[in-house]
Amino acid sequence: MSLDILAYGAFFLTMALTYAIMCLGLNIQWGQTGLFNVGIAAFVAIGAYVSAILTTPETPDRFGGFDLPIVVGWLGASIAAGLAAWLVGALTIRLRSDYLAIATFGVAVSVQLCVLNIQPLTGGAFGVGFIPRPFGSLAGNPLTFSLANLALTACVVLGLYLALEHLTKSPWGRVLRAIREDEVAAQALGKRPIRFRLQAFTIGGAIMGLAGAVQGHFIGFIAPDNYLPILTFQVWAMLIVGGSGNNRGAILGAVLVWGLWALTAAAVSAFVPPEQQARASSLQIVAIGVGLCLILLLRPRGILGEGRSSIAGRFKPKSKAQQKFKE
Amino acid sequence: MNPQFLMDGLIAGAMIGLGAIGVTLTYSILRFANFAHGELLSWGAYLAMAVSGALGMLSTTLVKPIAPFSFGWSLPIAAVIAILLTGLLALAVDALLFGRLRRRGSAVIILVMASFGASLALRSLLEFIFTSKPAYYTKALQIAVKLGGGLRATPDQLLSLGLTLVAVIAIHLLMTRTSIGRSMRAVSENPALAGIAGVDVRKVIRVVWFLGAALACIAGIMTGLLVQIRPYLGHDLLLPLFAAAILGGIGSVPGAMLAGLIVGLSEAAAVQLVGAEWRAAVSFVILVIVLLVRPRGLFGRAA
Amino acid sequence: MSGSASTTPALEMRALVAGYEPDLPIVRGVNLSVAPGELLVLLGPNGAGKSTLVKAIAGVVPIHSGSVTLAGRDITHVPAHRKIAQGLAFVPQTENIFATLSIHENLQLAAAVLPKQLRADRIKALYERFPDLATAPSRLAGALSGGQRQMLAVARALIVDPPVVILDEPSAGLSPKIVSEVFEMLQQINAAGVTVILVEQNVKAALKIASRAVILVEGQIRHEGAAASLLDDPIVAKLYLGTGHAQNHSVGAEQP
Repeated sequence: MSLDILAYGAFFLTMALTYAIMCLGLNIQWGQTGLFNVGIAAFVAIGAYVSAILTTPETPDRFGGFDLPIVVGWLGASIAAGLAAWLVGALTIRLRSDYLAIATFGVAVSVQLCVLNIQPLTGGAFGVGFIPRPFGSLAGNPLTFSLANLALTACVVLGLYLALEHLTKSPWGRVLRAIREDEVAAQALGKRPIRFRLQAFTIGGAIMGLAGAVQGHFIGFIAPDNYLPILTFQVWAMLIVGGSGNNRGAILGAVLVWGLWALTAAAVSAFVPPEQQARASSLQIVAIGVGLCLILLLRPRGILGEGRSSIAGRFKPKSKAQQKFKE
Repeated sequence: MNPQFLMDGLIAGAMIGLGAIGVTLTYSILRFANFAHGELLSWGAYLAMAVSGALGMLSTTLVKPIAPFSFGWSLPIAAVIAILLTGLLALAVDALLFGRLRRRGSAVIILVMASFGASLALRSLLEFIFTSKPAYYTKALQIAVKLGGGLRATPDQLLSLGLTLVAVIAIHLLMTRTSIGRSMRAVSENPALAGIAGVDVRKVIRVVWFLGAALACIAGIMTGLLVQIRPYLGHDLLLPLFAAAILGGIGSVPGAMLAGLIVGLSEAAAVQLVGAEWRAAVSFVILVIVLLVRPRGLFGRAA
Repeated sequence: MSGSASTTPALEMRALVAGYEPDLPIVRGVNLSVAPGELLVLLGPNGAGKSTLVKAIAGVVPIHSGSVTLAGRDITHVPAHRKIAQGLAFVPQTENIFATLSIHENLQLAAAVLPKQLRADRIKALYERFPDLATAPSRLAGALSGGQRQMLAVARALIVDPPVVILDEPSAGLSPKIVSEVFEMLQQINAAGVTVILVEQNVKAALKIASRAVILVEGQIRHEGAAASLLDDPIVAKLYLGTGHAQNHSVGAEQP
């Protein structure tokens, strides 16, 4: 019994950590750079499908099935999603800030359509099954299998976290911060804000693609329903709760929000009569939407306090210049 | 290609155009892309259904179809009430959410994000109240009339087209000929100067919310009447609305209507040429082309 | 405090503190009384808070403490859009007309604060006063030249026949010939009985038309006097350029 709980705990944490990867990707786009992405689900889906196509065994009725190692799938997923992000960014980052949001929303709609309709590639509504799972040979023992996967996903998160922390402190990260705080000054120093923003957006997109691949391989099958707009909302809620700009907050926010989500979902299925469950889960989504607005109104820096490199600068654009004036 | 696609495209385009006028007005005056605008269409459609249903319970004669249309007097009466209620809903959301963020001087992107949260809450609330099962204003069936040239349309469709035309002309005259229209254009260009010149900017913002919501409600009711009523009705139209508003040029009423028709006709053509399953991607393609070739749109000002 | 003691001042500021951010005042305790019919010029080095002061009076920049009275009436917390109806007109430095509206629409917009029956007559009167604007009233204001724009901005401000007009650097970006035309226009308006308050960088030209000048440094009034007497006063140069800077610059050195 307790072993079952332990196995379930490991499963739950692994899922939460795959969301943490998405959250880290969003953090570099939004938290570090201030780029608003409404199409997270699309980049995650691109990653999941590319990796699935690369690594699944050959299937007669579907293109792909190259049977490549999982690591190759992960890599391909990051490259494909990064490329997609680069294309969207190159198109819109030089325009008004909300055009990027609209364009990413369009990408989400279009990727969802492609996934559903290009059946020979994606399997249509049924999705792709038999995706190789890491440590698949251990699947006979649920506990060992779950723990091994948890360890692997945790390593990915840790590696990403260290890399991103390093990146934030590197000259590149400093330029990004400088641009965010005072675009004109950064421009005067010869830094081209558009290029740095585009790089950040691309890296973020690639990380989301990696998250999609890691999640797809962990579950073993993927379907279009996994990449609905609600996924985008969830990742946003995670980052906002954790405090944007803060990588540790992003990870913690993912675990917290996913935990809350899984708990309420479990409560709904346990206590609400089946015919009312759809309604109850829509109320769950209302709560996320209202929560997002409340946090923006009441705690714009996130529930868990301020990150070391929080986005506070954006909320009071004038204070810095005037601080100097006062001196 | 079957010429009927022209009629289908025109009707879809009329509804997109009406919604896009609301998007373009709120965008140009409030200065952010409101992701919750689609939900105003859905709420308008459901509010009209609820009021119409209540009226039908009061008196069965109100439900009896007015020939040659499929609906009785309960729907037009309900539409007027729904327009008011949708306008009040928009004002309430602004008072609770956007207004507070605006006064705090929040960045544009924070407002966009808040609208994203609001859209999620509003849509799921509809799903909670009315469930996701499609609903209809009337069960009456309509027979399409032949219009010549191989085109056919139902009386409901023709009425919707006519009403759209009236609404667009009315809004255009309001913007160009009246004092409030002038104030709206002034606020859209320079809110600070408008205030100095004696324009009550907060009043203009309230008028714009109400107007945008009213148009959204009309577009939502028409979509509900001609297609069906679903909680995702507005959300699924959001990308076409944004594409039309940007193609027309932010702030331009005739631009939004014309662009709405272009989007609608392109969708109908794509359904004929590529297949109905790709319909939703048409707006994205149009959006990408506009952003690549002419980001300020057909009638927009250079940024 | 100067200004006439026997009549109510046209505009009066008492211990005025204002600035964009609550904790960072830029205007720091200004006391100033402007008599009816004065043409007052506000001078001071860049960043002295001249612009912020007039914007605070106009209601564009928040006032933290102190008060502003217009002909004896407290207008400290009257919102910007209601000040014009109460008789205080403000012409900002840049972007002071609506480029996407026609000349006529610019005036119609401003006339909306008047009772309906007066609007057409007031616009007609302004066209008589500024015949340049009347030649093509349906032209988009964005197509006007710099001088014409300034003219339209001033005409817009005069629509309610306000007792007090405040202008923020009306000469900025204009050629010397146009500047003298604008200043001439201001003198005429002043001669017609309107109290004019002017922020200027163009010190010499401004002192020539002004009746009185006030020098603002670091958000506070450091010096004031009759404009004519200040023209050759070395203290102006000293305050203007700040101590420690080269003092051999003449007052007349015009800033770009």
